[in-house]
Order: sequence, then structure tokens, then C-alpha cells
Amino acid sequence: MSEEIVILGKKYSSKDRVRADRTDKLYEDIPEGETLLKIEDLNVTYRTDNSTTVAVDNISFDIKKGELLSIVGPSGCGKSTILRCIGGLLQPTSGKITIGDKECTTAGSDRGMVFQDFALFPWRSVRRNIEFGLEIAGVPKEERRERSTRYLKAMGLEEYADHRIHELSGGMKQRVGIARAMIMHPAVILMDEPFGALDAQTRNILQHSLVEVLKNSHRTIIFVTHSVDEAIYLSDRILVLSKRPATIHNILEVPGERPRERAAPEYAELRRKILDYLESQNTIF
Amino acid sequence: MALKYDEHNKYHRLARTGVITVISLIVLLWVWWLVSTIIQKTMDFNTSPLATPGEAFVALFDFFNNGDPIEHRSMWSWIWSSLSKFIKGFLLALVLALPVGLLMGYFKILREFFTPWVEVLRPIAPIAWAPIFVIIFQATNGSIMVVFVGIFFPLLTNIVFGVQKIDTKLLDAAKTLGASRMQIFVKVVVPSTVPYLMNGVKVGLGVGWMCIVAAELYNTTLSGIGYFVKFMIDNASYDYAFAGIIIIAVLGLLTTGVAEYASKCISRRMGLDA
Ligand SMILES: Nc1ncnc2c1ncn2[C@@H]1O[C@H](COP(=O)(O)OP(=O)(O)O)[C@@H](O)[C@H]1O
Ligand SMILES: [Mg+2]
Repeated sequence: MSEEIVILGKKYSSKDRVRADRTDKLYEDIPEGETLLKIEDLNVTYRTDNSTTVAVDNISFDIKKGELLSIVGPSGCGKSTILRCIGGLLQPTSGKITIGDKECTTAGSDRGMVFQDFALFPWRSVRRNIEFGLEIAGVPKEERRERSTRYLKAMGLEEYADHRIHELSGGMKQRVGIARAMIMHPAVILMDEPFGALDAQTRNILQHSLVEVLKNSHRTIIFVTHSVDEAIYLSDRILVLSKRPATIHNILEVPGERPRERAAPEYAELRRKILDYLESQNTIF
Repeated sequence: MALKYDEHNKYHRLARTGVITVISLIVLLWVWWLVSTIIQKTMDFNTSPLATPGEAFVALFDFFNNGDPIEHRSMWSWIWSSLSKFIKGFLLALVLALPVGLLMGYFKILREFFTPWVEVLRPIAPIAWAPIFVIIFQATNGSIMVVFVGIFFPLLTNIVFGVQKIDTKLLDAAKTLGASRMQIFVKVVVPSTVPYLMNGVKVGLGVGWMCIVAAELYNTTLSGIGYFVKFMIDNASYDYAFAGIIIIAVLGLLTTGVAEYASKCISRRMGLDA
């Protein structure tokens, strides 16, 4: 794995390159469907000057390789907090997060992230946004271009390659966000309400695009959403959280291959069950 | 033919601004004329220190054609000696404020340490340094240093502010794409600070231009448009002094105009508005 490779006259240790921009290759020996990511006794307590808030209370769960796991829960229950911990953007108060046998303590390109408000670099073109991670990893320009072209195509962004971010619609922006995370082949992609800022129609289109992309390229995804329909349409499993401090209420399997029919009667009961629970967790005052 | 103002027509808006500006300037000249005439009539000066617009423009025309009335040095050489000092002071401020500001913005400990320095030194009017700087650095470099002080602080505070205003989501995004602290600094912090830097440049150029003119009043060498004004007043050639003042106003307008335009272009190119 660590032989030297020469790209355009530059020498790279292939091991470093794989580490930086194909982290999924580091876990090739883990078969699909086996545990890839482990969250053990995760606890997050926020401290401010005059209060402490327990946001996440001793949560443990696993993510299997190749699955799409949704996390739903009442708003403010700690979903983003969990995701930020996995992404290494937030230090948990206690608990352990491991990918394969490596403990995650800081952020890295092995855990890609897609943000609700896109978080794209406004001074970069669409293409250069998508190439950002490759640039960071030291991938030579020619190869970057070739790889970003593939993702531009897959996301239907070819015409917009040289556009600036502010020239795009919300849906287009999130396509860039998804491409920017996926091009790095992270071991797991963390999506925090990625379609939450979009209108209902655009949302549906993007959900469908995501399913299409996943058909051609297997990925492990943790998908936070507050839409039960979205969770049912996309996920293999749904993790249902209680109100704050987040504890796990239930983990539900969603049967059926993707693409799924929206509002299919076979999901009615599952949908009802989750919605009823979430309603019971609503704190109305 | 009825001419009706249309707010959504670019040419209408432009014409409106143009017409109002011209009228405004004419009224300003008239007020100047009125005040200077009243002073000349009511006060018992040999020559009033307040030249009328007519006298000033005649002097300006002569200055342009024949140079100053005493040494006969060309108008451009007087202007250029101010401009070159101004540019040097500006570049010096930029070269120093940029790294210092970025580092102060990025590293909290540096910010905490240097903020008291900045807060103590910043409120001092830059021109207060002029007499000291002229002694230490001589006339030319002393003026450059005054300009430097005038431009440095607006630049610095804007850059520090800009670094702290960075969208933390962008930093998060860069981290999850594998960027190191150094890479984040170069590829995220620096570019997103540019609009704030440009804002600092805009403010700084305005202050700097005031500084160079004022600093030259302390000069003893025949150089710079500020010194020209003093030179003419000492010589009781008030009309030429006012010609100098007109040049100062126009050049000040030009520098801030150029900065404004550059800042707009750059912000647009960067896809940022600040
Ligand atoms: N930086 C913070 N400081 C203090 N409290 C926070 C902070 N971030 C989030 N919280 C609190 O933690 C709880 C969970 O937040 P979050 O994870 O964003 O919820 P969700 O994403 O499920 O809506 C909320 O009640 C929120 O107010
Ligand atoms: Mg959230």
C-alpha cells in the first residue's frame, strides 16, 4: 500500500494520498453491513457562565458500513451536537467515538460534512469549492480537474462549474456541498439537515438525486433531519431521539430498496409510530 | 414631450445624480464667493486671506501653466512629491498591518496582548506625531511616517475585526475537508478578510491624505502640496494658496474614489459583501 506513485512528475507516497483523499480505502477490510463507526457513552454538557445544559446523555450506537442512518428527534434535542462530535468539531464531555479501530478526537477528511446552510467558500467558483479538499490533500491540478468534472456531472452542475456561489439557487448550492464532501471519499459523510433550508419541491428533487448518486457509489451516511418522511424515503435505519437531553428512544429498520415510492402505504405505520412519539416529546408551553 | 423620472432606469438615476451634484457644486462656489466677497468688503485687509473662487481659479490656471509664482517649479512636481510620500506611507502601513492584523485576529493571546497598545496609540491624532517625526526622520521620511501612522490603525482594526467576523461554518467545513490550522489560515481566513481589508484601505486613504498635507506644514524643504499652501500663505499669495487647496480636495476625492471602486470590484470578484 505504501509504494511510491508518480503523478505528473511529482512523487507521492500512495499511503499518504489514500489517507488524505480516499479514507474509505483505509477501511476496505471491513465488509459492508459490519460496524464501521462506534459511538460509546457519548455525553455532551454545554457550559455557559451561569448554566450547564446536558445536551446528549450517554448515547451509544453503531453505524454499519454502507448504510444510511437517519437521526430524527425534536428540535433542540442534540442532533447537531452528536454530529459535530462525530465530525471532530466538538469535544465530547465524555465518551468515545471510533472509526474502525481508530479513535476520532479531531476533525479530519475521513469524516465529511454537509451543512444545512451550505458553508461554501464564496470566493471560489463551484469547481474550486468541490476541489477544496483535494487541494488540501495535495492532489495535483490535472487530477483534481478530472475528478471534480466527474462530480460536477454526477450532480448536474457541469454548466455551473465556473459560476460563483452567490449565483446559484439553494438547491444548486447544496449539490455543491454534497459533491465537495463526496469527492474526498470519506469513510462516513455527516449531513446535518442538508435539505432543511430548501423549499419542498427542491427538497424532493435533491432527495432523489442523493438516492441516484448512492446507487452508483456506496457510501456510509449519517443524515440528521426533522422530517420523518425524508428519513423514511432515504434511510436504511432511523434513530429516534427523545427530547433534550438526547437519549435513544428507538432504532427502526426501514424495509425496501431505494428508490422508494413516497407515501407508500407500507410505510404508513412506521411513519405514524415515529410521529406519535415525536409529538409526545414536544414540549408545549 | 414629457420627461418623467424613472427610478428603475439606470440612465435616469445617473442623470439625476449628475444634475444634483452639479447644482450642489455651483451653490458651494456661490457660497464661497459670497463669504469671500463679504470678508473682503467688510474687513480692512490689504488682501483678504480668503481668495474668491475667481481669483483662486485664475491662480490655479497660472500654476498649471507656469508653475508656482516664486520658484517656478511645475505644479506636477509639487503634487508628485506629496503623492510619492503618500504612497510610500500607505505601502508601509499595508505591509505591516496585514500580517500583524491577521495574526492578532487569528491568535487570541496576541490579540489580548496587543489590544491595549492599539487602544492607547490609536486615539492620538496622527498629526500630533508630525513635529517629533520630522525631527527624528527628517522632513520627507517624517511625513511618510505620519501617513503611515494615519493609515496603519484603520487598516489594523479592520483586519482584526474581519478575521473575527469569519463565518465559523467555513472553518468547520475546511476542518472536515482535512485542512490543517495553517491551511485554514491561508485558504479560508485570508480570503474572507479581504473585504474588511478593503474597507480599511478606504478609510485609511482618506485619513492618510489628510495626514500628508498636514505633515508637510511642518516641512522646511520646498516639497509637497501641503507645503506649497503654507509657502504661498507666508508669501501672502492667498489666491495661489487656495489653488493649492483645490488641488488637495480633488486629489483626496480621487484617492477615495479609486479605493471605493477597487473595493467594490474586489468584493464582487470574491463573492463577498462587507
Ligand atoms: N454552544 C452551545 N452552548 C450552549 N448550549 C448549546 C450550544 N449549542 C447547542 N446548545 C444547546 O444544546 C441543545 C442541543 O442543540 P442541537 O444539538 O443544536 O440541537 P438540534 O440539532 O437537535 O436541534 C439545545 O438546547 C441548545 O440550546
Ligand atoms: Mg440542529
